[in-house]
Amino acid sequence: MANLPPNATATLKSVALKSGALVCGVADAAVFAARAPEKQRPDDLLPGARSVVVVGGAQPREGDWAATSPWVLQTMGTTERIQGVGRRLAQYIESELGYYALYVPPGTASGDTPFLSLMLAAELAGLGSKSLAGPVLNRDHGFMYWSAVITTAPLEADRLEAEPACPAPPCREMWEREGTTPCLKTCPSSDGGCLSGKLENGRAVRTFYDAARCNTRVHTHWVGGFQKVLEETLNEPDRDRRKMLLYGDFFTRSLWAITYSSTNIAQCFECMRVCPAAHGLKEMK
Amino acid sequence: MTREEQVKEVGRRAGARVVGIAAVEAFRAQVPEGYRPEDILPGARSVVVAGGDGPTAGAWRCPDHRVMEITGYDLRENVAVHAMCDFIETTLSYRAIQAPSLPVHGHEPPMSMMHAAELAGLGTRSLAAHIILNPEYGLLYYAALITTLPLEPDAPLAEPACPHPGCAAMYKRIGTTPCLRVCPACLAGKVNDGRIQESTYDREKCHSRAQTYGIGSFQKGLLQIVNEDDPERRRTMIYGDFFTKSLQSLGFFRDSIAQCFECMRVCPVGRKYRKLQ
Amino acid sequence: MSVFKLDPDVYKRYKDQVLELCNSFQRIDRPGLSDKQIAERLGLDERTVTEIRCVAERDCYSLDEWEKAIEFKRKATLEWSALALKRPDLKPE
Repeated sequence: MANLPPNATATLKSVALKSGALVCGVADAAVFAARAPEKQRPDDLLPGARSVVVVGGAQPREGDWAATSPWVLQTMGTTERIQGVGRRLAQYIESELGYYALYVPPGTASGDTPFLSLMLAAELAGLGSKSLAGPVLNRDHGFMYWSAVITTAPLEADRLEAEPACPAPPCREMWEREGTTPCLKTCPSSDGGCLSGKLENGRAVRTFYDAARCNTRVHTHWVGGFQKVLEETLNEPDRDRRKMLLYGDFFTRSLWAITYSSTNIAQCFECMRVCPAAHGLKEMK
Repeated sequence: MTREEQVKEVGRRAGARVVGIAAVEAFRAQVPEGYRPEDILPGARSVVVAGGDGPTAGAWRCPDHRVMEITGYDLRENVAVHAMCDFIETTLSYRAIQAPSLPVHGHEPPMSMMHAAELAGLGTRSLAAHIILNPEYGLLYYAALITTLPLEPDAPLAEPACPHPGCAAMYKRIGTTPCLRVCPACLAGKVNDGRIQESTYDREKCHSRAQTYGIGSFQKGLLQIVNEDDPERRRTMIYGDFFTKSLQSLGFFRDSIAQCFECMRVCPVGRKYRKLQ
Repeated sequence: MSVFKLDPDVYKRYKDQVLELCNSFQRIDRPGLSDKQIAERLGLDERTVTEIRCVAERDCYSLDEWEKAIEFKRKATLEWSALALKRPDLKPE
């Protein structure tokens, strides 16, 4: 059985950063049991798993957040750039360290269920913490995309982030003043949105998240919309109206999203756009 | 190295064949409001355009058109745009975005990459579907970035790449050019004194050729299927070659990008790069 | 309420004009109008024009044209190959 060379974890992280990740962390596979449901734990995917390596990066650029055209963030998704790093690390672990490695597929096992929660993995690898709006935010880099590799290699695990990025100081002040925060105000469940929550002792506590509604926003044009229009078309007795449905803007755009991954990755960023911890952490001109 | 040279060098190293720069003001003359770079990124100053190679010389020689239907593109110009965006934001600290170029409503993209390429001095419109031809390389594929970084723009080309002298001579002799002759269904035009005098392009007909199997063919096939009352005929449509290939092109996007090259196959501009051993 | 659906009668009334004014039939010296510009000209709202345009682009030619496209490319590629590669055996029937 292979043994890890000295500084293996540090070297692996260096490879990750050189490959394009902004951050790289390691979580102990065993700690997932307390928070991940059955069948979504590292050991369910790779028996004998000891570590989960997580990389973050490929997030929208500052220019993307500043763009006034909604099509920029909706159609030029960049998450696949971090997926390539994950794959590379899996290959590196196996070829250079001699341990099994499994690149966690970013898709879903069935329905909306992931193979392994990449957000949870990022938290447990000390790379960020869950925000009031939902996404895991890193203190230095804000909102990022994640990729993970499960491995039997006994790497050194990182600690959880001590201080969460959320709530950011402006959000705490807003809560004191108005009893809400930018993300909750932008997308309130009380007014047809997805979120509600509160700040308690300086910590964000999410009290409600309408995942199904969020899905209609994050994946407006995707498989779900396609299925709905198809159902309506099949139920439509008038042939002219069927044509209006199948050739119409919504269905056409949904097909584009099905075909081109950059157009389907995420189609709503509004809770993150207003978040002072998600981006704008670097001075730009 | 000037800033312009730095940015272009990053693009070329990342795989662009050519890189050019246009000022955002240049887009105002012909682009309607809502589709200009400054409508997309507030404070935008420059548009940097990368041109990437099309099919390899070997692919052009394949007698089976299906090969190029599914291998025409490697999207290298998009990689170059990302590399330049990263450089501009992380090293120069100016905002940069990949210009949104995929259609969002029917066939309309939020911004025209063809027009950006023209304004950045990378090519001129041709008789062949108004494809932007680079005078050296001929057919290239274009992607662009929009940035708040002020850059010295390149000038649009003074001399058009089309018509090629050989095509102008052919028009004088027989009243047509190679591209017009091969595809009269989509193209029509006139050449006078070595310049394009008139040129029309039926984009919707071209769509049936350039994206024979894709989103459009899927929609048309599906409508036919749902309108078919006979279950046996429906079955043969669903499982037939046309609908199957249409579905395949949705699953593998590279299969759907560009599927007709006939006007470019006969185009002499840049042809020297297709003569290998 | 469902997704925005175009009234087929509105579609039939305006589709030819919308196609004429947009970028479907292009002239090298004249850019097509945006949906907003077309809407102003025809006295419609922009969303309706977008919907008419999307349906009309797809509806412009029947599937027969796709069949012709398949045959066109097969023949054109073979004819060029026969000539340029000096392979008369490739010339299509």
